[in-house]
Amino acid sequence: MPTVVLMDASLSMTRPVALEGSEEFQRKNLAIHGLTMLFEHMATNYRLEFTALLAFSSLWELMVPFTRDYNTLQEALSNLEDYDKTCLEAALQGVSNIVQQEWGSACPCQVVLVTDGSLGIGRGSLRHSLSTMKHRGDDKKFPLPFPFPAKLYIMCIANAEELQSSDTLENLEQLLTLNAGGGQIFTMEGPLCLKSVQSMFGKLIDQAYTPFHAVLRCGNLSSDVQVFPRPEPVVIDEEVEPIPRTILTDLEIVGFIEIGDISSPPVLSRHLVLPIAVNKEVDEMGAGGAEDTEEESSANQMAGKSPNFCVLLHGSLKVEGMVALVQLGPNWYGMLYSQADSKKKSNLMMSLFEPSPEPLPWLGKMAQLGPTSDAKENPYGEDDTKSPFPLQPKNKRSYAQNVTVWIKPSGLQTDVQKILRNARKLPEKTQTFYKELNRLRKAALAFGFWELLKGVAELLERECTLLPDSAHPDAAFQLSHAAKQLKLASTGDSQYAAFDHNITPMVTDFSGGDRDRM
Amino acid sequence: MMRLHHSSLVFVQNQSETYIYATRMKMFSFSHKTAFVVDHCPYMAESCRQQVEFDMLTKNRSQGVIPLAPVSKSLWTCAVECSMEYCRILYDIYPTHKLVNYIVSDSEFHILNTWNQEDQNTQELMSALAAVGPPNPHEDPECCSILHGLVAAVESLCKITEYQHQARSELMDRAERVSNRGRIVCLTNAKSDTHVRMLEDCVLETIQEQNKLAAGSDRLMQIQQCELVLIHTYPLGEDTLVSDRPKKEISPVLSSEVHSVRAGRHLAAKLNILVQQHFDLASTTITNIPMKEEQHANTSANYDVELLHHREAHMEFIKSGDLHPAGSTSRDSGLKETVTLKWCTPRTNSVELHYCTGAYRISPVDVNSRPSSCLTNFLLNGRSVLLEQPRKSGSKVISHMLSSHGGEIFLHVLNSTRSTLEDPPSISEGCGGRVTDYRITDFGELMRENRLTPFPEAPGAAGSVKAPSDRAKDQLERHTRYWPMIISQTTIFNMQAVVPLANLIVKESLTEDDVLTCQKTVYNLVDMERKSDPLPVSTVGTRGKGPKRDEQYRSMWNELETLVRTHVGGGERHARVLECVTACRSRPPEEEERKKRGRKREDKEDKSERNGKEPEAEKSWQETERLKGVLEREKEELAESEVIKDSPDSPEPLNKKPRLSVEEAPPPEKSRGPVSLLTLWTNRVNTVNSRKHQEFAGRINSVNNRTELYQHLNDENGMETHENGKGNR
Repeated sequence: MPTVVLMDASLSMTRPVALEGSEEFQRKNLAIHGLTMLFEHMATNYRLEFTALLAFSSLWELMVPFTRDYNTLQEALSNLEDYDKTCLEAALQGVSNIVQQEWGSACPCQVVLVTDGSLGIGRGSLRHSLSTMKHRGDDKKFPLPFPFPAKLYIMCIANAEELQSSDTLENLEQLLTLNAGGGQIFTMEGPLCLKSVQSMFGKLIDQAYTPFHAVLRCGNLSSDVQVFPRPEPVVIDEEVEPIPRTILTDLEIVGFIEIGDISSPPVLSRHLVLPIAVNKEVDEMGAGGAEDTEEESSANQMAGKSPNFCVLLHGSLKVEGMVALVQLGPNWYGMLYSQADSKKKSNLMMSLFEPSPEPLPWLGKMAQLGPTSDAKENPYGEDDTKSPFPLQPKNKRSYAQNVTVWIKPSGLQTDVQKILRNARKLPEKTQTFYKELNRLRKAALAFGFWELLKGVAELLERECTLLPDSAHPDAAFQLSHAAKQLKLASTGDSQYAAFDHNITPMVTDFSGGDRDRM
Repeated sequence: MMRLHHSSLVFVQNQSETYIYATRMKMFSFSHKTAFVVDHCPYMAESCRQQVEFDMLTKNRSQGVIPLAPVSKSLWTCAVECSMEYCRILYDIYPTHKLVNYIVSDSEFHILNTWNQEDQNTQELMSALAAVGPPNPHEDPECCSILHGLVAAVESLCKITEYQHQARSELMDRAERVSNRGRIVCLTNAKSDTHVRMLEDCVLETIQEQNKLAAGSDRLMQIQQCELVLIHTYPLGEDTLVSDRPKKEISPVLSSEVHSVRAGRHLAAKLNILVQQHFDLASTTITNIPMKEEQHANTSANYDVELLHHREAHMEFIKSGDLHPAGSTSRDSGLKETVTLKWCTPRTNSVELHYCTGAYRISPVDVNSRPSSCLTNFLLNGRSVLLEQPRKSGSKVISHMLSSHGGEIFLHVLNSTRSTLEDPPSISEGCGGRVTDYRITDFGELMRENRLTPFPEAPGAAGSVKAPSDRAKDQLERHTRYWPMIISQTTIFNMQAVVPLANLIVKESLTEDDVLTCQKTVYNLVDMERKSDPLPVSTVGTRGKGPKRDEQYRSMWNELETLVRTHVGGGERHARVLECVTACRSRPPEEEERKKRGRKREDKEDKSERNGKEPEAEKSWQETERLKGVLEREKEELAESEVIKDSPDSPEPLNKKPRLSVEEAPPPEKSRGPVSLLTLWTNRVNTVNSRKHQEFAGRINSVNNRTELYQHLNDENGMETHENGKGNR
């Protein structure tokens, strides 16, 4: 989930903060202090997050495009200049644009708006924007809700009392409601000082930037892992199951499936699964000699040298071309697999399926997947050439079962011509002739289209009269038999018009004389 | 660190939710239940007055033949075939959870199917419709009315479906969360607007009555909301007596809309639009599909095929404003919008895992047309097709994929934007990334043994029997009770001789034969020890030669015992295997010493005796097995070096040495003893080859296939090389 930091650079941010101490701070300094803390946290604990910095006043400017380089972000922050008045709408539009340009409209984002809470006056103020929102055309729509799923965190460099004296909080809350993707407004309590701004950003970090740690298990083998980005809570059905579901911190592998069998399944989200050394003490693998001054780096090195299940799993998944099915919660599953990027670096990834007992129809119910050793016969075949997947649905889809559709005249004409074509090749094509005839008959009966049955019967009778002298005698018998049967069906008489009844070829025998002709 | 001061501050918490929706649809929305009510009154027998030519003369027929008169469908036939088309599309895209109850109305109502899932397919409906037949034009019109059907539809909507029932029983005390909404699609020929109003009032009244009844019943549900879609259909050329009216709320429980449509293709087009609206569908036209011409097999022309699917598959376009590229309109579906995607000729064998954000079932708009069936057959045969999206900017990007799974075709949405996970640290840079001797091949083998397979649901066994997936987890647990992750941490798993036991011991239950095989394996190991066969022991962390052979065997036995002991709870037979191991294994040094002293002589005799008696065949078999083991381990190593190639500074695999010692230094008596198949073969080939030419002088004089060049220059050193004798690899 990329982050956009939207920093208020209006003049009001330069208001000094009343302090008992000697140093004088502006609100801007407090904001920068808070963001510095956020960036430091991300650089150490959340370093794969992409963050962009946007500054705004009446105009907006992309100070730093999406990056993982937190030094650049920090630098840009300290070089921030002061501009004129606050105009939030334009800035939000800016956020919307840059996120869509970079990540499209499906990628969830977090927007951190840092402001002093004076949201402008008159035209361009948030109050003005919100009040005119409903009277605008499609081309001038308010940027919220964002086209992408977004959480909006509003960091007010002001305390609640201060904000309550105006309608600021009300307006900001309206923003959150509009956004619909959720979020939170943070304000400072007590005197505006470094301590309280730290505390406020600390809460944001707890809320949005704590790494997700879990244990990945495969029977008795396990590894502590960080799942990045954090898996977000998911609502399955807003009506039947409105409580959001979160994934377990105990990720248990159920078994394995070939990549070809799982076959590019749809997923809710993708995450890196990074093994972590929770315990800095390294087991007997370490050959000693760690120097105190380089404790950290040598600990890392040792972690690299002690075997980790994730690396083993990744290696085997890659070599075998398989995925591991992993249970994320009750009736919720995901898959682990090896993913290589363009630079041939590969990683263990986890994709989450939709929470459901049967997220992939071609695998069936996940709980019904069991060990092959339980099957009477190895479903993969003794020589590994078969597969129990994909499962076939109970009913075939229309495109797989030769349905009859006569909505367009061409559909009907094609079906009649098929019969006619086969009629002219009787008796060789007797089977196909009757197959096509019965197909037409069934559809005509279902549609109550008896007139067509009569018509085709006449057609066959005429064909019979047009038969050349060289024709096989059987052709004439079959044609008049078929015509007669169609005519009988067209009366609706239950004896002849039953849907499940099939017209069968007339039994004739011209090869020998030892059987009576019908 | 800095977050210690929380308690002193208060923050404003917004109440709005912080989660992401998985599905935007409610399971029990209007589309869960659709009651089709089709008019079967005498006037529906009237012709729609659109003639269909069916006697198409082919070119080579004689000219004298007069074509037969065209046929014409009745209003009933039009209504039935259009409703069937509606159902066809619906069942293609939603084979479950979206249910249809088909009702026919004349002097009474006929309910053709139930809400049950097994009744939900067009075949069943067609069969039931055939039994109903066309309306009888001679029936008394006074007795006939669409009202019978409408009342039956309301009653039917009150009936609980399997899915509603299941959801209610799962939710227990929160069963009220399961709602009951539904839609009535009524195909009729109304007399006037007043008549339409009368029908609406009647539906509303029936809902109110039925809701009262349902309130006191367990098997009925009150209708919370009902959507009535009245379609007045009339023959071509007649003036309509009923006016169109958009959706309007008649009461909180009932909304109604009226469509006045001419029969035939107009009705078909209308129902096609409605099925898309009712089930949130959208249209995609696949363009530039190359197809062979029937007449000219050498040429191919490009065709377009229009598909329907859930609207969600277009979400990215809708949001990005790329939905309306110039000229993208459907020609014949009657809808305004279709998204055009270009066919990309598929690569042959791609078993790739695409990053796919959604997969939606499709249904071709024109299912029997040649282009449609060509495309669907191609896909059903197992090929996948990538689709390219032409963008406003003129750039192109692969945005979708068509692929079939088990006879169903899905439109996959592929992620086409930048990934937030790009450029992650490689796995070799993280924890455990520096380790190079993971048992990759062995774990791959374990994965193969733990592949999953679907099992049919045991009826009525819910709760009493373990779910197959739990059994799969149990099996993984058994298979990993003792599983060293790296080669240098294990001896037994590097030994081919242990394989039969290692494979069997993890089983849930053993047969007598299994126990026998395990015992044989153990005896075989005892034999190896007696003969002092080398073991593939790692020398990690040791200097020089490494542990002595008897120490190696001791640690091997320890490992084997550990493995078997973890499974001793498996039953009496597992316990017998452990007994066998503990009885046969070599003892710790003191004990061993004691024994040795007592048995030394005996042992010696025994050894020479065995060596003499042992059948040749078995020995050479062991030899080949050992060779296989070596080869396989080498393969393993190769695989590993391929896997973790992005750490150029990683140390040499440490286990190389001991293995090579296995390969290189067979005990002298071995090389003289029975020879392996490989050696036999190599010798034979060499002899045959040597007959064909005169051997090089150098080779004849070589030691270990190596001859010192320029021997006169390095006279003293030459001797050393010969002695060293370790060069030939």
